[in-house]
Amino acid sequence: MSANWWTLTWLVARREITDRARAKSFWIASILLLVAVAAGAVIPALLAGKHSVARIGIVGRPAVAMAQAAREAGQISGTAVTVTELPSVAAARAELRAGKLQAALIGDTEVLVNKQSFSGSSIGTTLAQIGGLQKLYGQLPPAAAAAVAAHGIALPVYSLSPPTKNLATRITGLTAAILIYVIILTYGIRITIGVGEEKATRVVEVLLTTLRPVQLLAGKVIGMGLMALCQIAAMVAVYLALGHAVGSPEVRSAATSIVLAAGLWIVLGYGFYCTAYAAAGSLITRQADAYNAALPLQIPLILTYVLVYTVIYSTTVNPFFHVLAFIPFTAPVAMPVLVALGAAPAWQVALSAGITVVSTVWMARLAGTIYGRAILRTGSRLKVRQVLRTAV
Amino acid sequence: MSDDGQLELIELKRRFGDTVALDGLSFTVPRGEVFGFLGPNGAGKTTAMRAIVGVQALDSGAVRWNCAPIDQDARRRIGYMPEERGLYPSMRVVEQLEYLARLHGLTQQRALSAARYWSDRLGLAGRSQQKIEALSLGNQQRVQLAAALVHEPELLVLDEPFSGLDPVGVDAMSEVLTERAAAGVTMLFSSHQLDLVEHLCTSVAIIHRGALVAHGTVEDLAHGGQLRIAVRVAGDDKARWLSGLSPGPGELPAGATVEGIAGGTATISLARREDAQTILDLARKAGPVEQFGFVRRRLSEVFRDAVGRDSGPPPERQAPARAESEPATEATR
Repeated sequence: MSANWWTLTWLVARREITDRARAKSFWIASILLLVAVAAGAVIPALLAGKHSVARIGIVGRPAVAMAQAAREAGQISGTAVTVTELPSVAAARAELRAGKLQAALIGDTEVLVNKQSFSGSSIGTTLAQIGGLQKLYGQLPPAAAAAVAAHGIALPVYSLSPPTKNLATRITGLTAAILIYVIILTYGIRITIGVGEEKATRVVEVLLTTLRPVQLLAGKVIGMGLMALCQIAAMVAVYLALGHAVGSPEVRSAATSIVLAAGLWIVLGYGFYCTAYAAAGSLITRQADAYNAALPLQIPLILTYVLVYTVIYSTTVNPFFHVLAFIPFTAPVAMPVLVALGAAPAWQVALSAGITVVSTVWMARLAGTIYGRAILRTGSRLKVRQVLRTAV
Repeated sequence: MSDDGQLELIELKRRFGDTVALDGLSFTVPRGEVFGFLGPNGAGKTTAMRAIVGVQALDSGAVRWNCAPIDQDARRRIGYMPEERGLYPSMRVVEQLEYLARLHGLTQQRALSAARYWSDRLGLAGRSQQKIEALSLGNQQRVQLAAALVHEPELLVLDEPFSGLDPVGVDAMSEVLTERAAAGVTMLFSSHQLDLVEHLCTSVAIIHRGALVAHGTVEDLAHGGQLRIAVRVAGDDKARWLSGLSPGPGELPAGATVEGIAGGTATISLARREDAQTILDLARKAGPVEQFGFVRRRLSEVFRDAVGRDSGPPPERQAPARAESEPATEATR
């Protein structure tokens, strides 16, 4: 393909971008999506607890050992902690009352909390247990005490089965599935409408005197794809910025893999579906038929989207949903959910992505053939079989 | 004139199922002339024009321009105005023209400048920032012509460019077409407005059922066919001088027939051109001759003679509306 080929294709893409950027509906949809993403970042953080990062005060000496006890208590109770040295018990009491501390370790004598928890699993309770053990080990000979200081008090815990994902991570996965579903459907139907408009208004007849059908098709899906990418970038930026701002542990650690998976599958899903939606648009002769023409392409996505709700809160993923994650028509929504549930190891993600990429090439060829043969055909609405039977 | 810029249609054939759209259509469009392309509805004009610009595949035959097949590069030098107008409804006039100019290879600056020029030239200056869908049909038509002209094409293929235009629009478009032809552009346009075509065109091709039925300069066609003369003798309002004349020596020449008398002027069809002199002699015997000359046929007469009274589309093609563009067609590429 020559530089001129790409120049013309880029002109088509640029027109699509300009046209889309001028539409009010685009901005309204963008704002709604950003709100949804913001909710996806903030709600899991709120569900994980208001004080997802606990501030622990220490009063007395040795400060190093006490700080170590506080961090260990955090690890055991599943809470991220920051440790602050305080000059006096009075200062610790004041900060506890002000809500600035979650607990205070006072030497090797006591742990202060603002309100006693009865669950037995709060950071204060755990801190008390670790502090008590540390006091006990402090009475050991110096060599043994040094070993304890070096390796910590608690024993490591190894699970026989993979850890189940918490609710916040699952909601992040659900948000990703919703966004992928919305992006592919929104841009897909937009492509169908755009192609249908060009055909119905016969502008395609003018365009194809200077462009090849494949250039027109490529320019349209590239332009729309870039708009989708911009929207995705904005959403990811909002998600990460808000997630960090509210101290969401999902955004800081575990959810990064979901965000990456979502980004990958939005790109793969759009790539797979975009040419198919263009081919659907080339079959119609009236813009009003666009939704009907695109419906067969939407059904697999809708089906998968509905099934997401049946697995997102369950402890096990049913085999049918697992299979969907390897079918190119459904994988873009199903696989990120499996990633969020921790049910898809890396090799499965890679295999599914490979299948989708190969299928995208196949789909682009098929859709290009349909588009090239149907875009100038007028009369009644065409059927795929009818178009494919026609020799060029 | 040399063959440079000449457009040749050579034995174009195209069938849509049982319908023959083009049946060995051949003719040549010289450069620098306003060339009319005529035919009844469904005759195959649109199919032929779409084949020229490459959006209609042919079963056989060839289209050549500048003595060569029309390839992708050549297509960028063609200005095309489709029968059913092709514009983006939501784009602004100047943006649309600039976009199309750029697709035809103009730089951004030249494209914008050309878009503004043709907007102004076709009376759209005050509407250049309006969306196409906000314009009247007549103004949309002007934008469509501007779209065909904006990249300074060397070949213009215009399908029904005058339909829907008011008289002012017709004048503006006629002026532009004449000017472009004078500038050396090869031009083919179809129309059903035969008086306009007669006034505007140097040459025409008339097709019927996909085949050529008449071709030549408007002058040649006007003077071709049945020879007729118009004769009027002074003071003889009923053309009584013809009474009693019958074919034979000293009478009407063999094959001469009086076709009609109107206001004393008799229209007489002749078998041979030299018989006109005999008729003149007969008239002069009757009195002073006020009017004598060969009758020039109107293009509408030429058209009717060429396509006959049965000027509708073939039976198979009458069923669907817009039969000419309805059948399945596909791009050649």
